[in-house]
Amino acid sequence: MTDRNKQNVESHQKLFLISLCSLVIPGLGQFLQKKHWRGFTIFISAILLAFLISWALTLYGIAKINFGILETSWLFIPLVIFWVWNVIDSVNLRTGKTASPLPGILCTVCILFIVAWDVTEVKPSRLVERFNDAKTVATKIANPDFFAVEVNGVSEICSWDCLWSNFRNKLSGQPTQIIRFSENPGDIFGRIKSVSSLGDPIKPTFVAGKLIETIAIGLMATIFSTIVAIPLSFLGAKNIMERVSGGNFIYYVMRTIFNVGRAVDTVVWGILIIVWVGLGSFAGVIALTIHSAAALAKLFSEEIEHIDSGPIEAITASGGNTLQVIRYGVIPQIIPSFLGYTLLRWDINMRSATVVGFVAGGGIGFFVLETIRMGAYQQYAAALWAVAVVIIIVDTISSRLRENIILDKPKAPRKRGVIGYLKPAIYILLGLAAFIYCWNITEINLGNLIQPGPTFLQILKDFTRIDLSSDVLNLVTKQIIITILQAMLATFLGAILAAPASFLAAKNLTGKSRFLAWLYYLTRSVFNFLRSIEALLYAAIFVFWVGIGPFAGMLALAVTTFALIGKLFSEAIENIESGPIEAVNATGANRLQMIFYAIIPQIVPSFVSYIVYQWDINIRMATIIGFAGGGGIGLTLSTYFGSLQYHKAGTVVLFIVVVVALMDFASAKIREILV
Amino acid sequence: MLKIEHLRKVYPNGVVALNDVNFSVNDGEFLAVIGLSGSGKSTLLRCINRLIEPTSGRITWNKTDITAAKGNEIRNIRRQIGMIFQQFNLVKRSSVYTNVLSGRLGYVDTLPSLLQIFSKEDKDKVLSNLAQVDLSEKAHVRADSLSGGQQQRVGIARALMQDPKMILADEPVASLDPVLAHSILKYLEQLNKERGMTVLCSLHFLDLVHRYATRAIALKDGNVVFEGLPKQIDDIQFKAIYGQEAEKISII
Repeated sequence: MTDRNKQNVESHQKLFLISLCSLVIPGLGQFLQKKHWRGFTIFISAILLAFLISWALTLYGIAKINFGILETSWLFIPLVIFWVWNVIDSVNLRTGKTASPLPGILCTVCILFIVAWDVTEVKPSRLVERFNDAKTVATKIANPDFFAVEVNGVSEICSWDCLWSNFRNKLSGQPTQIIRFSENPGDIFGRIKSVSSLGDPIKPTFVAGKLIETIAIGLMATIFSTIVAIPLSFLGAKNIMERVSGGNFIYYVMRTIFNVGRAVDTVVWGILIIVWVGLGSFAGVIALTIHSAAALAKLFSEEIEHIDSGPIEAITASGGNTLQVIRYGVIPQIIPSFLGYTLLRWDINMRSATVVGFVAGGGIGFFVLETIRMGAYQQYAAALWAVAVVIIIVDTISSRLRENIILDKPKAPRKRGVIGYLKPAIYILLGLAAFIYCWNITEINLGNLIQPGPTFLQILKDFTRIDLSSDVLNLVTKQIIITILQAMLATFLGAILAAPASFLAAKNLTGKSRFLAWLYYLTRSVFNFLRSIEALLYAAIFVFWVGIGPFAGMLALAVTTFALIGKLFSEAIENIESGPIEAVNATGANRLQMIFYAIIPQIVPSFVSYIVYQWDINIRMATIIGFAGGGGIGLTLSTYFGSLQYHKAGTVVLFIVVVVALMDFASAKIREILV
Repeated sequence: MLKIEHLRKVYPNGVVALNDVNFSVNDGEFLAVIGLSGSGKSTLLRCINRLIEPTSGRITWNKTDITAAKGNEIRNIRRQIGMIFQQFNLVKRSSVYTNVLSGRLGYVDTLPSLLQIFSKEDKDKVLSNLAQVDLSEKAHVRADSLSGGQQQRVGIARALMQDPKMILADEPVASLDPVLAHSILKYLEQLNKERGMTVLCSLHFLDLVHRYATRAIALKDGNVVFEGLPKQIDDIQFKAIYGQEAEKISII
């Protein structure tokens, strides 16, 4: 009896100790109970939240209240609740009760949102106030200069409206005009008339040329990055490097390089590269190649790590030597997935190629930037439509080819005639011709790589001279926080809008009636169309609508988020298992009960994991949205670069790398826990 | 004759998979290797073709010392020993034809084989071996489009490409439906009886052992605890091999 009492007292003492630990240092109690990640996360969250609240108070006066002379923020109330929850959580862990992290998460989210709302200058009223401005732009965007019509012998460019009036005339029996595509094929992509008054006219062929250039940039970058990524991926594959002495070290070095390469957005790479090789498509190709090679190498090495060792064993057992084992046991396993990833990357590279011109000067991005500067919204619209068409085509080809790779059926070997040999030869020749054409178009100049401009070394030196003076540090910190919170709001807004829409875009839920099937195709098309244009290109619309600043950037990001996450959501809904639905139905549940007990539990984890994933992507996008007037760290970077303050720009890039890499890591960790 | 003397295998993590294994197999025998999971059956079979390096001991086969072989010698020995795996170990995305063809790799020059250039005889051999396992019409489909039983037959055809004198079968039917077990083992029996190949086959079910094996050995904790005719495994032997709680079950 006394023994048990003693134990009880002891355990009570321990409980008290642990709650005291958590009270003094949040997360310490959890940490001491071997819940290292939980403890660490709580500790970091508490510090970050406290910092954020006081930062927001001193800089923006967010949530300010006065107690006499004491000036403080009422946002400390949720932080106190967070603190209390953390103590209760440590006690619950000790006593073995189920400890829900929900209160802690709610408090965190609450603080983040209130700060984010002010910091990103969210003003919904602006959407209404300036609606007429937006309407003007929207009308121009909806009416690109696609057609030409003869009016009194003069060719006049017109839009959909002449198609419509023609149609009406035909119905009412009036004479119809002859409508054709704009006289000069380049006019399809831009109207000269409105620009000529503003200075240098944009040549009619400009956009068409820039579009081809964009395609070439994406293609070359994909080819180069694949060539670079394949050897690197073997160095970054744990199962291979473990067998080599010193391999573990190389493995970690390679993985770090992959992560840094991926963390820095193509556009940011573009800035660094123009210093090296100068403005132009070539800079765009290199920037894309670096980012894409890092991303591909990571995927490739993960693929190598996951190969099936069975065939390797079997071929070794049949007496094959090492080369034969690689040829018959390893390569057939990795080739399809390598090809698949390369095609996926091609798709992504094409998208990036449309915006890399914002800084690097090549491709359609450069043209878009010009049109925005000149307020030539009709040309901007034409570029947008053209980009959408090209990207949707690329997307379709890429996904079709990837499907074929997954399903590929081996062909029976057959006798090849002359034609059998001619066909691949023709393909190879065509491919080679395209390659050379793209090489020329993108002005690839390897000499520039080896012999950069004379100022390069000086700039590089400046660049690595990281400036940590307090005014730079304060500004960078502020902009980084804006960037992160902007991305968070955009993710949240996009996801909220996408969630209901995604149900309409799920085939398994909409296949029943013709109306729903029609809705399915409509939603799908909207997703695909919106997805095809990069956030950076959308930013221009919102800058015009709500003004320059983080709010515009947030809205642009929200649009792409809506499309990207909507597609992922609808696929998640399509992938739910029918078993649980059947089982719940079998118990006699009604439709609503079925949805709550069979469908929602299946989709919630994947929805949450997609949202976290999207936040990660959006932070990366938010780092560059400032280049188009969307606020955030991109604005600082472009300002520093524009004013040739390279040492400060170097600091910004360093911050971007660290923050993106950290968020990438956090997002991967969270998704790991969720799945 | 295959002779195994004082064979011992200790894994780097300290697990003693084989303690001191001694037995021999005459040419033309169908030897069943039985024992619980983890008793060392797979390790034993893989030591015979040196997929796993034994820690100590000696394996001799028709006067060749397998344990002493190096480099090319090992590959020359391996190509005479066919192996069949529990998980089939096919390249799932490759065609049945290519999978079977890969069984010939030990015989051909490296460079042509890397370009997948094989002689007419080898190609004909693929077709005749596929006919042997009744899969002629499946030559040009993807390996993973076949059922488990069919995949294992592809595995047998691949082993036959080696013109093996001996076949090591590691739990060849453990991943299959019980009904399919007989169909696979009948092919092995046929190879054993008609073409005189020695078969070493690890098995789970005692009635399969009774039905197909000419002799059996039982492993427990890395030691041979029984060696003799299948019918000699009585209840006492059974408990000694599988432990006191074990119950005999049978399949079809």
